[in-house]
Amino acid sequence: MLDKDQEGLIFNIQNFSVHDGEGIRTLVFFKGCPLHCIWCCNPESQKFTPERAFNPMRCLTAAECGRCIKACEYDALTLIDGLICFTPQKCTACGKCVDRCPSGAQSFYGKKYTVEEVIQLVEKDESFYIRSGGGITLSGGEALCQPDFALALLRESKKHSLRTTIETCGHYPTEILAEACKYLDELIMDIKSLNEEKHKKFTGATNEQILKNVKYLCDNQPDLKITFRTPVIPGFNDTEEDIMAIRELLPVRDTLNYELMTYHRMGQPKYEYLGRPYQLEGVVADEVLMKKLRAMIAQYAEIHKNA
Amino acid sequence: MAQCATCLSPQEERIADSSKVKRQGRERVFKILERIQFTVPHVDIERALYFTRSMRETEGELLTLRWAKALKHVAENITVYITPDQLLAGRVGQLGRYGILYPEIDGDFYIEVMKDLPNRAKSPFQISDSDMKTLVEEIAPYWEGKTYHEHLNKALPQELRTVTYDDARGLKSKFVVSETSSYRSALQWVPDYEKVIKRGFIDIQNEAKEKLANLDLTNGVDIWEKKPFLEAMVIVCDAIMIWAKRHVELAKKLAAEEKDEKRKAELLQIAEICERVPAYPARTFREAVQCQWFVQMFSRIEQKASAIISNGRMDQYLYPFYEQDIKNGTITRDEARELLECMWVDMAQFIDLYINPTGNEFQEGYAHWEAVTIGGQTPDGEDATNDLSYLFLESKRDFPLNYPDLATRIHSRTPERFMHEIALTVKDGSGFPKLINDEEVVPLYAIKGAPINEALDYAVSGCTEARLPNRETYTSGCVYVNFASALEMLMYNGRMKHYGDELIGIETGDVTKMKTWEEFYEAYKAQHMNLLHKAFQQQHIVDKLRPLHFASPLSSVLHNLCMKHCKDLQCEKIEEGVDYSYFEFLGYATVVDSLAAIKKLVFENKKLTMKEVVDALEADFEGYKPIQQMLKSTPRYGNNDPYADSIAKDIDRFTQVEAKKNSEERGINVDVRYVPITSHVPFGKIVSATPNGRHAWFPLSDGTSASHGADDHGPTAVLMSNYHTKNYGMINRASRLLNIKLSPKCVEGESGTRKIMDIIRTWCDLKLWHLQFNIVNRSTLLAAQKDPNNYRALLVRIAGYSAYFCDLSRDLQNDIIDRTEHTEM
Repeated sequence: MLDKDQEGLIFNIQNFSVHDGEGIRTLVFFKGCPLHCIWCCNPESQKFTPERAFNPMRCLTAAECGRCIKACEYDALTLIDGLICFTPQKCTACGKCVDRCPSGAQSFYGKKYTVEEVIQLVEKDESFYIRSGGGITLSGGEALCQPDFALALLRESKKHSLRTTIETCGHYPTEILAEACKYLDELIMDIKSLNEEKHKKFTGATNEQILKNVKYLCDNQPDLKITFRTPVIPGFNDTEEDIMAIRELLPVRDTLNYELMTYHRMGQPKYEYLGRPYQLEGVVADEVLMKKLRAMIAQYAEIHKNA
Repeated sequence: MAQCATCLSPQEERIADSSKVKRQGRERVFKILERIQFTVPHVDIERALYFTRSMRETEGELLTLRWAKALKHVAENITVYITPDQLLAGRVGQLGRYGILYPEIDGDFYIEVMKDLPNRAKSPFQISDSDMKTLVEEIAPYWEGKTYHEHLNKALPQELRTVTYDDARGLKSKFVVSETSSYRSALQWVPDYEKVIKRGFIDIQNEAKEKLANLDLTNGVDIWEKKPFLEAMVIVCDAIMIWAKRHVELAKKLAAEEKDEKRKAELLQIAEICERVPAYPARTFREAVQCQWFVQMFSRIEQKASAIISNGRMDQYLYPFYEQDIKNGTITRDEARELLECMWVDMAQFIDLYINPTGNEFQEGYAHWEAVTIGGQTPDGEDATNDLSYLFLESKRDFPLNYPDLATRIHSRTPERFMHEIALTVKDGSGFPKLINDEEVVPLYAIKGAPINEALDYAVSGCTEARLPNRETYTSGCVYVNFASALEMLMYNGRMKHYGDELIGIETGDVTKMKTWEEFYEAYKAQHMNLLHKAFQQQHIVDKLRPLHFASPLSSVLHNLCMKHCKDLQCEKIEEGVDYSYFEFLGYATVVDSLAAIKKLVFENKKLTMKEVVDALEADFEGYKPIQQMLKSTPRYGNNDPYADSIAKDIDRFTQVEAKKNSEERGINVDVRYVPITSHVPFGKIVSATPNGRHAWFPLSDGTSASHGADDHGPTAVLMSNYHTKNYGMINRASRLLNIKLSPKCVEGESGTRKIMDIIRTWCDLKLWHLQFNIVNRSTLLAAQKDPNNYRALLVRIAGYSAYFCDLSRDLQNDIIDRTEHTEM
């Protein structure tokens, strides 16, 4: 199959992204992730299949509309005390309610795209990449868990002279990562924790493969621009020891950057839309601690640069 | 998604913590500013009084000559002032914020409108009882039956009146095809300040005297047209010099009375400078600035040029003096900045007063915007940035005032350092500077007839316009066309809900019986063309009547072509001149989104019938919320979606085709422009619910911005939609106003500054005309609505200018809040 005809599951394509990678970029969100981090701000990214979601904020209410309830043949949508309730277990993802919903409250997360379609959408903002040094960013979910599609998209991007970046969790075979690196200008990878037990508990997977891939990148990709990131999650990895352990694992060099991400709850409403519980209810980031941790890693980089 | 803690713009920080305002070195300007800011302005009637008295005596003479004599009479008699603590002399009204009157335009309104002025909700004014008496007993009676407005009102045939006025007196606009010529005597203008600074009025006057001496007095044209014109030129030079000279006496008198030695010295210096300029060439930076200010203020006495006498390319014509004085050590950079800021605070005190209720709806917030142009290219195409360009940007960042309006010309080689400073100023959050694109304006103006070196030397004027001070000769206020009303007339067979059964458009038939998209679209075009033709006819009448009522000797004596051909700038045609006339397109996105929604839902996927759409519109969506949502969910303009953008491009295309035809008929460039100022709010008030899901009487979309909240694909998509809907293969296009609202968080830090630079560079590549930013948190705007007293200093970008948010009407405040804020993704 030609690269341009490869198909994959995408749940969002978002332009004017200014914080993930160089310049003004378009983010392509792949659906499906091998990790299920409890703080995940894109819970709709986790499953490898299209998912139904219901956003009550956009709903016109049953009194004004109620078209979805009438459309549903499986009782997944019911009226309780005048409110529309969604029972994901009963939903067959037939899409009839989505088709009938006028406001976008009923929707699907996840849609098939070909590589060619993605490239076309990404190139709509090409004028901005020329000036800003931006381009395409593969994000997710985990792009490299749809390896054929992701690699085809990267190769095709290069054919179109687009600058490429990936945001990745690192949990997949090293060969796939090695192949992807051939077509990448920049790579951003998360390292959540070095503690295997905690990692398994909070993300649903061990960190063994991730750390193998980190080592691969450190040892074999000296010229690739790499950023390792750690989301600092209260109660999970928010200690100086946790962070320092990760920092010490990584070499200090010009092409390699290490960043800390402050925990935020922007994704919380989406848990509700998907009918899932949010486990970090009430948790807030400690800005003072973040400042301290950032100063600590800056100092580490400074010392070791001169060493 | 990485949005966490809120981030404030520097402007928001200053409001939250007043100690962050940079006052050091600005004690003088703050002192002046604090005396006048946020006070209700008053009406000064002296200009109107002396102007009227002179005009009463000169009936029958050539209008330009009458005007010059009237200006001289005003110059001799008007009270002269020097604002306390000011370094510049020259204001045309009492201390504090003030406005002046131009009864020749609309004096027939005074008796009925003036008494409501102090109490009107939008931009109120105060007037003393004795002045009111003079106005009603002496000024207004003279103008009765003589004003331009009355003439136009009588001259318009019934079929044009139907779309123009909503009452017999022509006081109330219909807001369908609105004329704007009866609340201003000209479009905004930029006098050639450089000419006065370099030559002085004695030399300019000598040129007129010489021409006068060489006239062929056996020739009727020379005797009856050129001779009185040139006499007027001589008189107007005298007028401004007399007025300037009176400040010498005043400054000396004030100095004699002054106890404070420092101030005494300042006043004596003012006297010395006013002795020199504008009669003789300026020798120093101080003289050049004073000379500019005299010309600017005297042109206010001459006429009401549509809210604005712009400042022209200030960083260019002042630079030689600045450079020389800095080198000589006769002025420091801080002193130069203080002098300019002194000009800004006096500028802030002159308020453009709208008596006409329609005019007042068009520009809210005491709007006036004397654009200072910086950057761009020299007449031979080099980059023009210099140290003064930077000084203007710094002043704007550190000294938060809405005057002057700062306009920056951008071109493909704008230096990176300058771009960085622009981005920093944009980030301050008060809406400055606006950006105008050389890569669009220069070639377009050249193709339309200007010599390329003059096109390269354009000055920004008005909201988003460009002016060539010695080439342009078109000055009529232009027509505003409400194309959202054409859409409504399509839905209701030529009628509008607001106006009941009156047939305002044409009967295009029962919309529910239309079978195909093509049939429907043709019917829209028919309504659209009908309004367009009415607009052209109305403008033609305006162009014929204006030279009968207005003259502008000062603007003419400073214009090469007027002097060469001995014609007043207000003439309908001047040889070798280029006319850049335009008409305003209101409701672009409203129309496009409505047409796209009907195409998609009624004719393509047939999810709705036309009857259902009409029923929902008639009910203003009450009980039809699902239909409203469906209408809002179709492809919309501003999202870089070819479905909507192709309709938008086609509308622009057939509008330009018709403008080209009209241009050929009238012998002037008639261009389509998309710059509503604040009028999309009142124009929206007569348009009922529209098929893009917009509620009845809500504001229309603004300029070429997307409908409120429709642009959910980020600012890059807004720019691309603009690009894809322009017809670059045609030339009957003018400015497109483009707003981008960003959250401060989105442009935080140095990387955020870089992103603004990237957006500006790309905008320049795309050859879009204009760009302005609002970098403010929505929560700040909402808080300011609740608690205006703590947010008096909050500046927001309106439409080519910035104004204090709390000075705006609730409708316009809501309109700004509803513009989509692009946050980081």
